[in-house]
Amino acid sequence: MRERRVAAVTIRKVRKVFGKVEVIHGVDLTFQDGEFVVLVGPSGCGKSTLLRMIAGLESVTDGEIDIGGVVVNDFAPRDRDIAMVFQDYALYPHKSVYDNMGFGLKMRGASPSEIAERVKEAADVLQIGHLLDRRPGQLSGGQRQRVAMGRAIVRRPRVFLFDEPLSNLDAQLRAEVRIEIKKLHQRFGTTIVYVTHDQVEAMTLADRIAVLRGGVLEQFATPDDIYNKPASKFVAGFMGSPPMSFARLTASADGKTLAMPSGTVLPARGGLVMGGLSGGKSYDAGFRPEHVKLGADALPGGVNTTARVEILEPLGAETLALLTVGGAVLTGRFPPQAGVKSGDEVTVSLGAADMHLFDTETGRALVA
Amino acid sequence: MTAKLSSLERSERRLGIALLAPAFALLAGVVLYPIYNLIRMSFSENKLTEPWLAKPWIGFENYAKAMGDERLWEATWHTLLYVIVTVPGAVALGLGLALLANQPFRVKWPVRLGLLLPWALPLVFAGLIFRWFFEYQQGLVNNALIWIGLSPVNWLTQEGPAFFAICVAIIWKTSSFAALVLLAGLQTIPKSLYEAAEVDGASKWQQFWEITLPMLKPAIIVALIFRTITAIQTFDIPKAMTDGGPGNATETLAMYIHKTTIDSLDFGYGSTLAVLMFIASAILTSIYLRHTRRDPSAGRH
Repeated sequence: MRERRVAAVTIRKVRKVFGKVEVIHGVDLTFQDGEFVVLVGPSGCGKSTLLRMIAGLESVTDGEIDIGGVVVNDFAPRDRDIAMVFQDYALYPHKSVYDNMGFGLKMRGASPSEIAERVKEAADVLQIGHLLDRRPGQLSGGQRQRVAMGRAIVRRPRVFLFDEPLSNLDAQLRAEVRIEIKKLHQRFGTTIVYVTHDQVEAMTLADRIAVLRGGVLEQFATPDDIYNKPASKFVAGFMGSPPMSFARLTASADGKTLAMPSGTVLPARGGLVMGGLSGGKSYDAGFRPEHVKLGADALPGGVNTTARVEILEPLGAETLALLTVGGAVLTGRFPPQAGVKSGDEVTVSLGAADMHLFDTETGRALVA
Repeated sequence: MTAKLSSLERSERRLGIALLAPAFALLAGVVLYPIYNLIRMSFSENKLTEPWLAKPWIGFENYAKAMGDERLWEATWHTLLYVIVTVPGAVALGLGLALLANQPFRVKWPVRLGLLLPWALPLVFAGLIFRWFFEYQQGLVNNALIWIGLSPVNWLTQEGPAFFAICVAIIWKTSSFAALVLLAGLQTIPKSLYEAAEVDGASKWQQFWEITLPMLKPAIIVALIFRTITAIQTFDIPKAMTDGGPGNATETLAMYIHKTTIDSLDFGYGSTLAVLMFIASAILTSIYLRHTRRDPSAGRH
């Protein structure tokens, strides 16, 4: 068994300015040895820039990037002991798959026999041994993706960087390769930093997820916490499929209940009652679709209210229903054959106990 | 076997032919007929200086004469030398210019202008400029030589130096076209390939050798073909700089044809020479084209 080569990555107060535009506003993150971290966020949130700064493809305006205890700000990419999988794979079109995979070793002066051995090993892991003589142009998208990963694996770096590696694949292949990547991580145990805008990828792959927005870190937590304890309305609305939907509620004078515009009253959950809510103030309440259920008392501790069905999206195992509830638009998960048509008035159970509350101005979550 | 055409398809086809007809007529008039006429003339005696001989058909007599014409072989040899020196020279210099122009300059237009200017300049102008450069008394080159303590050279009146001076002028003039072709090629190379190579640990020099050059190969071949075709026809620059001198030392095929036909008014023999040059140039070009077709990496995926 070869030595396990991993490194922790620490990002300290990192800023990035392009010309006059500041795209990363002081981000702090620490990735543990062997951790699978996903950077996720909408376009332009700075996730790719951050990844490229770790790779050394972008300079760091301010702050420090530390790989394995060494500040690498002034290191060239080749000296950082990292490997990267690019969005467009960046395979050398004029080289065979074998030469593509062996290129990094060749540039580092490895002997041909060592290159052959390691390329073969990586090719076996990825099941691309039969493709080694081909050129990238003769491969399918999924095969190219594997070769790009193979090129990274061959190098045995301490950190793998993935820049939206699945975005050029069709949906089915994406799910397959996603599992593949997770297997690779389990096999090699290398630290992985993975950038994506797809929250499903983030949830399924990550040990921890860093949600970025506008160059600011919104939340850095496990997928479970990101889903169940979103730190902000943005995180709540971004993660989850379909995303959380929101209603603007007003707290009662004593701060113990919240009222929908229609007048439906919901109890404030747990600790929020203890002076957490200011009487008369508005809050954004977030409901996951599974907490908007069809039928009276369908949820324990739920509050029954009437809803108008606007649009139904049957998915087979379930049906997503876009509802107007007390002046707000919420998404609910309905059973597949509920016998409901759009335009119907139905009774739904709102999971008040699982409701998330956010400050309307800062968007931060009120912690219950 | 062709399928029966519908009336719509037939009328579409008629319209297509009607629209193409003028272009074909023009091509026939200005390209095909002159070529036909040239070939016909090459088999006849046709000297304007001796009009009383009429224009008798003499078969391959002109071609036989050409085979033994020492001046033709010399001119061919000179032309070949120009091709050997100026084609790789211009493409290499053009590659350097293209790499320079491909750098992320803040202000792009001076670089682009610098690239385009030599290309836009008429050939004779370029020839005249370089004739002044290499002029014995006041030329810039000799002035520079004197300034650094060397003795001036009779550039344009000695065989070797004249050939050298002409090659310099041709390479300067034609490298910008090569640079434009190569710059277009450079810009099609995805930036991520260089980033991948950077992460893979390739130095700048290795990136050039392992990525830029192989990826640029199709563009380099295009530049070589175009440059070769024009190099075979080299005329204006040596005409302006030395007029083939000293003696016939820098005379090219095209210049010899011009002298035979226009100066000596021997249209028959001039036509023969032109046909021979056409054949030589077609052979050279087809070698290049065959090469590009055979190499899979030169083609697009």
